[in-house]
Order: sequence, then structure tokens, then C-alpha cells
Amino acid sequence: MADGEDFYQLLGVPRNASQDDIQRAYRKLARAYHPDINRDPGAEDRFKEVSEAYDVLSDPQTRRRYDAFGRDFRQVPEDVDPETWRRSQQAGAGAGGGRTRSSGGTGGFSGGTGGFGFSSDGGDIDLDDLLGGIFGGRGGGFGSRRGFGPIPGADQEAEIELTVEEAYRGGRRSITLTGGDGTRRSFDVTIPPGVTDGQRIRLAGQGGRGSDGARNGDLYLIVRIAPHPRYRLEGRDLYVELRLAPWEAALGTSVAVDTPGGEVKVKVPGGTSSGRRIRLRGRGLPNPKARRAICTQRQGSWCRPGSRVSNDGCSNNWPRNPTSIRGHSSD
Amino acid sequence: MVRAPRLSLEEFAVVTGLHPDLIRRLVALGLIDARRDSAGELWFSRSQLDAVARVQRLRAGFALNYAAIGLVTDLLDRIAVLEAALRGARRPGR
Repeated sequence: MADGEDFYQLLGVPRNASQDDIQRAYRKLARAYHPDINRDPGAEDRFKEVSEAYDVLSDPQTRRRYDAFGRDFRQVPEDVDPETWRRSQQAGAGAGGGRTRSSGGTGGFSGGTGGFGFSSDGGDIDLDDLLGGIFGGRGGGFGSRRGFGPIPGADQEAEIELTVEEAYRGGRRSITLTGGDGTRRSFDVTIPPGVTDGQRIRLAGQGGRGSDGARNGDLYLIVRIAPHPRYRLEGRDLYVELRLAPWEAALGTSVAVDTPGGEVKVKVPGGTSSGRRIRLRGRGLPNPKARRAICTQRQGSWCRPGSRVSNDGCSNNWPRNPTSIRGHSSD
Repeated sequence: MVRAPRLSLEEFAVVTGLHPDLIRRLVALGLIDARRDSAGELWFSRSQLDAVARVQRLRAGFALNYAAIGLVTDLLDRIAVLEAALRGARRPGR
């Protein structure tokens, strides 16, 4: 029997659970994983598995047969003795360990071949046949089984993490999502320049499958921008700490600053104190709608003269007592 | 008077005024939480009295079946958590 996919484990109940407990576990899981409630791309598959497990275990008769013959019980003829069947299974089990999904389509009952011969992509065909057989109507999408006709698929959401530079430039990026049953889907996504944290990128038709030819749902990628060692992001504005030596702050200077769009010369006026913000118009993340953005620099209090613009690297050899130095830079 | 931390099915039925069979059914539908001890008896915490009351209100106020009420209560709980998080995020201010 497949270890990871045992119906009891799917529902999180012990093998001797009462019908009430099975129903309770199913109701809770169904509410947690229904694709309209849980936008995770794996949730829909999980919902289907839980439903299938419940369909089997909720009926005392099919549950008995499941207990006796395992997941492939539908392939076992009605009048087979469980003991005989188990022995024949064990004979063939050596070669077939480690499967992850039902299937056993290759006649799990005929002695030596039982337990292997399933395809690596998980025997989905068998499962669909199986469901089709029970509920009269296949189509992949859940919901078709109750005879509602074509039902469009639900939208799904997944997160995608980008660096500040990727968000600035945009471009193509390939991502892989893992579904609830371990299947992996890869997408080539075009990221528009200037995406912000929390923005959604829509991949039409990549969400939940619709049943009976109805349209698929959409997949939304929610952008998360990874913390950056140098830049702090607020909306499309970037903040960079600019560390200056006290005499530079006092007398004014011109400093080269790296921004995602390239190096910029910043003029620091004399008499600048710590914490002052200098705005560099249009140097933040591009706004696709209005081509305007901002990059703001904040003054640090000191820096080793050789590497003026860095958030932290400059403090290595430089005096570590800020108060004595700040005295100079503040007016 | 010491209030028992948990109620047996019978006690729970008396307090809520519901038939024990209905309570068993609510548990099976996942509408209220109960622990089952080794003897198979159900035990309820006092917080479940509020849960039952909400189920009864939703049942009486809308034409909802119990499966739908389970969904509604789950969503209401989720909204409560999100609203609390939202309030917590607003309070420090910027």
C-alpha cells in the first residue's frame, strides 16, 4: 500500500476511527482545502484526494474492501479472499516499493506483477477512470462529479520572490510550482519592470482546471521583494544609506552612488547632518503608469574615504565611536 | 462554585438545550470541537457553548444547511484573525 497516500492518513484519522470521526475530519479538511477558500496551487489536488478518501471511507462496505485490499480494491473482484490477495501482493512487492500514488492499473491482483508497472507520472489516468466510473462523468476538474455540468476552474495564488534589481529591470524568469501531489509545473513569466511588493502578476488559464471543457482559472503570482543588503524599499521608493566622513558632510562633497539603474553622482551640500534625506528623482523603481520614481539617500555620519557609499562595509577600519564624530558633522 | 473545565455530552446538552444526537451530529460535521476519550465519550470545553450559539443563530437567521454553516464559521474566524492582525499593524503607526 502506498505509504504517503493512505486514505486514513489523508484524513488524519486512525484506522479504527468511527464513521463520525471520519466525517468530522473530512468536513474540516474540505473546508480548509476547497480551491475557492485556499488559493494555494496544491490545495485543489489535496481537496480531490481528501474527497476521494472520504468517498471510500464513508461507505462502510467500500471501507471494508479498502481495509482488506488497499487502494486498488476496485480492481479486486468481489469474491476474493483478503488473505490470498495479500500473499500475492507481498510476492510482488519487492520490486514495487516507494510509489507515491494509487494506480496499480496493471492488475494488482495477478501475483507477481502486482504493485509495479505504474508510470512515474503517478497514474492519473487510472484515478480519473476510477472517479469517472463512480460518479459518471470525467473531466478532470472536481465538481463535475455531482452533475453540475461544466464548471470554470478556481483562481490560484502563489508567491514569487524577486530581488530589487529584478523588480527594477523586469524581464523573463522561470518559476516552478509544486502541486499538492508533488507534481511540478514550470512557467516562463514575463515580469514587467517596476513591480512592487504585493503586486499580482496574472497568468491567464494557469489556475485550477475547469471541468467538462469550461475555462481554467487564472494563476496569480504575488510578488514578494526580498530584503536587500543596501536598498530599503517603500512602494517604489528606494532608500540607501550614504555614509560620509564628517568633513565631507560639513564641507559638502560629490559622491557616486550605485542605484539599480546605474551609478549616479550625488551632490551633498555643505552642513549636512545625519539623517538628512536627499532625493534623486526618477532613480527608484520605474512606475509603468507614470514614468516617475524616486531614489532617496540618507546621510550616514561617517565613512572611510575610499569607499564612500556602502551601508556598512566602511565601518570596519573607521573609528567606532559615532558621538565624537557626529559632533563635527552636525552644525 | 467551581465550574468544570469541560462538559460531558449530557451536561453540554443540558446547558445548550439541544438533543445529544444533534450535538453528536454537529461534532461529526466539524461545527463544534470535542475531544473523544479512550472510552469513546465526547467532552466539550466551555468555549464551545459560544460556538453552538453561533451555529444556532446562523441556522435560524439564514437558510443555511450545516455544511454551509461550517464554511461560514470558518470564514468568520479567519476574518476575525485578519482584522486583529490589521488592527495590530495599524496601532504603532508610521
